[in-house]
Amino acid sequence: MQDLPMWIKIVLAGTVVTYLWRMLGVMLISRLDPQGAMMLWVRAVATALVAGLVMRLMILPSQMMSVTTLTNRLSALFIGLVVLFTIRRNTALAVFSAVLAFMLMAWLQQG
Amino acid sequence: MKHNGHTQSRRETYDWSALPDGMRNAFSMAGLVLAASFLGFGALIRDLGVTLSAGVFSVAAIWALPGQVVFFSMVAHGATLLATALVVTLTAIRLLPMTLLVLARVRLRNAPRWPEFLLAHSTAVTLWVIASRSMEKWPREQRLPCLVGTGLMLMALMSVMTVIGYMLADNLPRILSAGLVFLSPAFFLTSLFANACYRFDYAAIIFGGALSPVAVMLFPDFDLLVSGLVGGTAAFWLFAPRRGRSH
Repeated sequence: MQDLPMWIKIVLAGTVVTYLWRMLGVMLISRLDPQGAMMLWVRAVATALVAGLVMRLMILPSQMMSVTTLTNRLSALFIGLVVLFTIRRNTALAVFSAVLAFMLMAWLQQG
Repeated sequence: MKHNGHTQSRRETYDWSALPDGMRNAFSMAGLVLAASFLGFGALIRDLGVTLSAGVFSVAAIWALPGQVVFFSMVAHGATLLATALVVTLTAIRLLPMTLLVLARVRLRNAPRWPEFLLAHSTAVTLWVIASRSMEKWPREQRLPCLVGTGLMLMALMSVMTVIGYMLADNLPRILSAGLVFLSPAFFLTSLFANACYRFDYAAIIFGGALSPVAVMLFPDFDLLVSGLVGGTAAFWLFAPRRGRSH
């Protein structure tokens, strides 16, 4: 199994096992009412899941992100949210502020 | 693009002339953030010793960044194909609710099903964000073709970004590359709040985020599933919108 060409490995252990869940979504959607309670619940689960993913990336940072402390990473996110809610829900500006705050803190910590 | 002449009665058809407009949608804030993430992915595969062609192939073949990262880091560390497939499929479970939510906004009930299977392949968090904020202004029959165009263009752009990231890997200053990695979580969290409209949306963000540290400690392999299912269900149960309200 280990000496298969790389592209076959990608298809078997990447494409197939990823598309599986997308295909299941297509098969289930025709049986769900898009305005119904079930879809609202799915939306709540997806939202909580992405929020969980963000928090996971904060507490278990990749090597590159670990140039800052957890407090710094979380406060950079918080700064972005403050910008979002004070300046007319401007997503681009909020993300930019968060990243800038993050890099500033990383730079101060190094220096 | 392609126009179907055989419109039967009661049968709906998609209007594929919206596909090029959808391609332009890829050049948006969401596309920019994804581009930065794929720059990071290119640098990462260089770091792992993966060939450039394998990295680029994985972009359109898998089209789920966490899954791609997990795949290459496991393969690079000599994990078996079966173990790799299991972990990759775990990271992909989140695509099921994403696909449901994207399709609910764009599909036609009485149209052929194959375009839905096509769109599903490009569905991930970014497409969900794009679909939640830009689909309302399109006529229903143009929505799916438009998003297919966005997905195809995003795949092409991200393949290019992977190549650039691979070549830049050794030359980016550390703080800049850290900033690129931080961009994705910052964008995800900001989009969640920007797209929230019900009280349960806000509750789901807070519950999911708050549960995550506990879930990471107790269920290290299933933490996303636990924060999503438990946090989302609790938020929905406590703050569900009243019945009978439209939308």
